[in-house]
Amino acid sequence: MSEKSDIQGLSRRGLLAGLGATAATTLAAGAAAMPSAEVKSWDITTDVLIAGSGAAGISAALEASAAGAKVLVIESLLKPGGSSALSGGVIYAGGGTSLQRSLNIKDSPEAMYNFIVSAGGVHQQEDKIQLYCEQSVDHFDWLFDQGVPYLQKFTKAKGLPMGDESLYFSGNELAWPAREQATPAPRGHVPGVPGMNGGRALMEALLRTAEAQGVRMQVLTSGERLIVESDGRVAGMLVNVNGVRKSIRARRGIVLACGGFIHNREMLQRYAPKLYDCSVPWASAGDLGAGINMGIAVGAEALRMHEGFAIAPIYPPENVISGIVVNASGQRFVSEESYHAVMGNSIAYHQGGKAWLITDNRSSYQFKQDNFLAVAKGNSIGDVANQLGLPKGALQNTVAYYNRYAQNGTDPMFQKSRDFLRPLQGPPYKAWDLSVDQAFFASHTFGGLHTRTSGQVVNSFGENIPGLFAAGRNTAGLPVAPYIASGISVGDCTFFGRQAGKSVAGKGVSA
Amino acid sequence: MTAACRLILSCLLLLPGATVVIAQEPESPSSAMPAGDPARGRLLFAACRTCHYAEKYIGHNNGPNLHRIFGKVAGKQAGFDYYSEQFKQAEFVWTPEFMYAWLENPQKMFPESLMMSLGVPDPQQRADLIAFLQQASVRSADPEPETQ
Repeated sequence: MSEKSDIQGLSRRGLLAGLGATAATTLAAGAAAMPSAEVKSWDITTDVLIAGSGAAGISAALEASAAGAKVLVIESLLKPGGSSALSGGVIYAGGGTSLQRSLNIKDSPEAMYNFIVSAGGVHQQEDKIQLYCEQSVDHFDWLFDQGVPYLQKFTKAKGLPMGDESLYFSGNELAWPAREQATPAPRGHVPGVPGMNGGRALMEALLRTAEAQGVRMQVLTSGERLIVESDGRVAGMLVNVNGVRKSIRARRGIVLACGGFIHNREMLQRYAPKLYDCSVPWASAGDLGAGINMGIAVGAEALRMHEGFAIAPIYPPENVISGIVVNASGQRFVSEESYHAVMGNSIAYHQGGKAWLITDNRSSYQFKQDNFLAVAKGNSIGDVANQLGLPKGALQNTVAYYNRYAQNGTDPMFQKSRDFLRPLQGPPYKAWDLSVDQAFFASHTFGGLHTRTSGQVVNSFGENIPGLFAAGRNTAGLPVAPYIASGISVGDCTFFGRQAGKSVAGKGVSA
Repeated sequence: MTAACRLILSCLLLLPGATVVIAQEPESPSSAMPAGDPARGRLLFAACRTCHYAEKYIGHNNGPNLHRIFGKVAGKQAGFDYYSEQFKQAEFVWTPEFMYAWLENPQKMFPESLMMSLGVPDPQQRADLIAFLQQASVRSADPEPETQ
């Protein structure tokens, strides 16, 4: 085939008929595979095409180009970096990384594996978890070698470090029951930059290295459909460049790394109704599900599409953790010190989306915040319960039971740590609304294409789709519901992005 | 009128919807903006917090801090190094009405903007968001005591 464009021909021959009159934002829902026979000539040819420039796409690009492939990355937005660049930039790493060792922190791949398997959701892809944990030490060194800036500093504070510390407990390791199921260790590795800009620092480093390595980047270019040979092999992609359709041929294969679908509201409502009800979609503008839909259209299996990250970040400040969180029956259901996404998952998926934080004078928010509104206030727990309309006596029972044991430093129900455990006593008592539609309840999606540890995309019959790889939130990976630690998502993006990059370039990967 | 200012106005005039009203009624652009409800805007603004905070003490994030944003010339805040050229060169002052027009489709008005947002196409939601930001952006520079 010639490299010369014949976009007009392409458009006439069924593209518009197939896509109908749908606008670009909803086009993914109507995407289907395009036979390569319909491509008269390819506009662009490369060895490896990567759709998406977040942590997954760029990690794939770095490995594919290091393996000698000519790599083109396309990005739908003007600025590369994806949602990874807006994230905290945390990488969940352990087993004795160079940073952990330099700070005299003991960890093992087994402890890390046990934590992810026991604290996370049921029926996870354990082969991915195992490989991720086994190779975590090397993976962190690789990130460091790409120029990601880490500092030899650890903090005990809960939550993403606001200082320049690079290591912290980023998840649920210290909360019960996780702390009894796996030996805790701080595994949140975050670029050593102040504030919440770790993702930007991470992506600046990866993008800089990719550019130096000769990876080509084309922005404002969105994938629309995969182009498939008659034998089922994925040969290329039809893309949209400022409203003009072009065909890109990828000789060795394609990596889909287009992110999740939290901003595609219709798709979200269909696949992940619980996430649809959460108040705040949390991602960059490109998370529209285009890569997932392109994959499904060529027969890829999609997994865990209803799962996601749903957070109610009640702390900081840490004083509020000595309050209690109750559901619409006035009962506790989770340890208040749990990682934000563990608590959020309980509320969104298991408590009908409704919950309140009950505080006394000491555990109340002391400073103005917009995340959670006080919806009841009274001089007794009964006053608050009445205002909330809870079942008669339920909250009073909960508090009496909680206080009876808390005064002796125990929490039989959820084993809250003693640091945060004391009886709830001292008016005014307040109830802060943690409901999914009333609280700051940030969410994004975890469901996506089924991939092997190599990044190879699998179809609904369990067979590989030749030429098609995927990584990051375009896939179902390590992050599942409940999400148990910051850094598992971007960690999965970088690690399995690398796997996909090596595989698509034809380099063998450990699996 | 400077060249940059003309550029921005010409961009505005090309916009459908709200900006058409601006073109028709230059004397009272606020008539295009429905009355906003800050209570409804609270959680609409929350999505912006992937990048922007209105509290001065939090400082710049992926996007510039929005403390006292209304009345400031766009693209000039000290300590924020990530403005697009278009915003660095801009000479307009942020007003609620201008932000209302912009947020309908941010990339359409300023194609070089590095704000990776789909905007807020719904007029009432946009007005609510801005009403909230008008309140939240003028709090004191330090954390304020909780009053709820």
